[in-house]
Amino acid sequence: MLAQRDPGFDEALRSATGAVIGFSQTLALNTLRKKARKAGLAPEGERKIRLGIVGGPSLRPLADLIEHFVASMCRAEVELWIGDFDNYLSEILDETSALYAFAPDAVFVLPADVRCRPRGSWTSPYEALEAEANDHADELKALADAVHARSGAEVVLANFRLPGTFDPGPIRGSSLASEYGFKKAVNARLGRLAGGSLHLCDVEFVANRMGTLAASDERAWFESKQPGSPELMVLVAREVAAVVGALHTAPKKVAILDLDNTLWGGVIGDDGLEGIELGTTSPRGEAFRAFQSYLKSLTQRGVLLAVCSKNGHDKAVEPFEKHPEMVLRLDDIACFKANWEPKSENIRLIAQELNLGLDSFVFLDDNPAEIEIVRQFVPEVIGIDLGDDPSSFVRTVQDARLFEVAAITQEDVRRASQYKQETARRELQGTATDMGAYLASLEMAADVQRFAAVDVPRISQLTNKSNQFNLTTVRRTEAEIHELIADPTKVGFTVRLSDRFGDHGLIAIVVGSIEGETFRIDTWLMSCRVLKRQVEDLALNEIFRLAADAGCSAVLGIYRPTTKNEMVREHYPRFGFRLLEESPEESRYLFDAGDYEVRETRIAIAGRP
Amino acid sequence: MTDEQIYAKLQGVFDDVFVSNVTVTSELTAKDVEEWDSLSHVSLVLAIEEAFGVRFKVGEVEATKSVGDLAALIKTRLGG
Repeated sequence: MLAQRDPGFDEALRSATGAVIGFSQTLALNTLRKKARKAGLAPEGERKIRLGIVGGPSLRPLADLIEHFVASMCRAEVELWIGDFDNYLSEILDETSALYAFAPDAVFVLPADVRCRPRGSWTSPYEALEAEANDHADELKALADAVHARSGAEVVLANFRLPGTFDPGPIRGSSLASEYGFKKAVNARLGRLAGGSLHLCDVEFVANRMGTLAASDERAWFESKQPGSPELMVLVAREVAAVVGALHTAPKKVAILDLDNTLWGGVIGDDGLEGIELGTTSPRGEAFRAFQSYLKSLTQRGVLLAVCSKNGHDKAVEPFEKHPEMVLRLDDIACFKANWEPKSENIRLIAQELNLGLDSFVFLDDNPAEIEIVRQFVPEVIGIDLGDDPSSFVRTVQDARLFEVAAITQEDVRRASQYKQETARRELQGTATDMGAYLASLEMAADVQRFAAVDVPRISQLTNKSNQFNLTTVRRTEAEIHELIADPTKVGFTVRLSDRFGDHGLIAIVVGSIEGETFRIDTWLMSCRVLKRQVEDLALNEIFRLAADAGCSAVLGIYRPTTKNEMVREHYPRFGFRLLEESPEESRYLFDAGDYEVRETRIAIAGRP
Repeated sequence: MTDEQIYAKLQGVFDDVFVSNVTVTSELTAKDVEEWDSLSHVSLVLAIEEAFGVRFKVGEVEATKSVGDLAALIKTRLGG
């Protein structure tokens, strides 16, 4: 492309840079970029970033990698000032140093790893070693503050990668006298000190992500004082660019979502509300649901969600309104476009309606053809091709790193939420011995509903899967459930449960038959996840309410033993049912409706059949 | 891997590392290339290791005097 002076070169280089992980590949891209510039092909960067790099280890070729990522990811012209090997202390402390004459916008400080060692011994008291670790971090913070005070530059300070060797044995994590423990303590302190003009380059994290052994390279240290393995340097350079990028470019504001095979499996227009894959019915359905939860979490960071789908509008909104397993609801969508116009057109309309620039948009679709159309007709919008495996959707979006939180906002969020969480946790701890208070603290809410057509696949699946908390173990096909819904002598209801920690989904099913004056419980099954959470009590209340509605004077409970449902053998007697008859095949229990007292629970009831 | 293949691959690595055009020969040394200083040398060695999937021992590369020596070292590390 370079030889042909193709105008698409720059974009192609940027997209290759987005995906690169290898060292020589990155280097080759950097060389390509320089060749292009020499040939007059590379465009002027949108802005200039003057970046100083100082540190303990040798700073080349790391600086070349950093230059490449900052230039490419921030679309900027980068001017570098690179300090000498292990000369950062004097470069920072000497007010007349060339670093300050360079007038940097940002300075990356990579402190010497070899100095981050505890001086104390194995027998030193923990507090003394901790003070030493804090001092080490505080000194680095003071250095960073000096850089900022003297140049006005934002400072990106690297923390320390942890050693990956077993030595000195299992004690490494419990003593700060080990290099491992000490560095962890220093890093923890640095994390607390970050904020304002001090930004962290989390070397510990990127090294952990790739593996601490793979991050180290002893030979490269002995030969040329490199800070780590070539692969680590690529990740560190990328991280520096991400921090500098967050300082100089606005994060994306809007995620535009496709629907079919993006938010759920299948095509809503063909498969219908009951046919799409979403929720606990199938592994794929769970993956789609998890993706929705991730998207929902983005809205809490201030990202707006918009829908852009080739569908009829009425069909497209149906799952948002009616599907019980949808995490995203219409409230979560800032702008909804479902029609048969090209997506590029719709995206322009969305930009107009939201009054936001197209360059703050990201478009998510499972169809590479749609991504390509948008790339061609609305090139300002970044497209993410999600692929066809929903279990990797979240990772794909996260790896694009487009919705990361800027340091300052993060700080605010931390301040606001941390205290609340901490207080709540302490309250929970304080009351953990009191069961009633514990259950109340869970803030449980149940949604009790008569069987609905949309739930039929889940109901059928649960009747076929549940073994332990299942009184009669009657398996039912979807067709049988449909028949049951139509039968006036049958009553079925489902219970969904959520609490402050999340949504458990559909967790209980009861089917009753009205036989004259008797309400017979044909099926009662529950997910074991919610045992002892008073869902049993809630379900029993519901059974007696429905029995009364049907004019029944007694409720009949049946237990049929299997090899797996021993846990509910005493279920009915525990609730005060009296034994009517017993055989090896089944036990029957009766409860007079007139004697029943509604059981108190700590669960708020949201829905009512 | 034949000598020819090794030199062809080396040419690719040199193209990736250096902005100016450098023709790889067995007689080539760092003195012949303006960009080839001690700093770009580090990049060159790391890139060669990645390209050939070899790992040099500490000090080995420093002992080579020309690209010919380097090619011989690569051949040894490749196991023949």
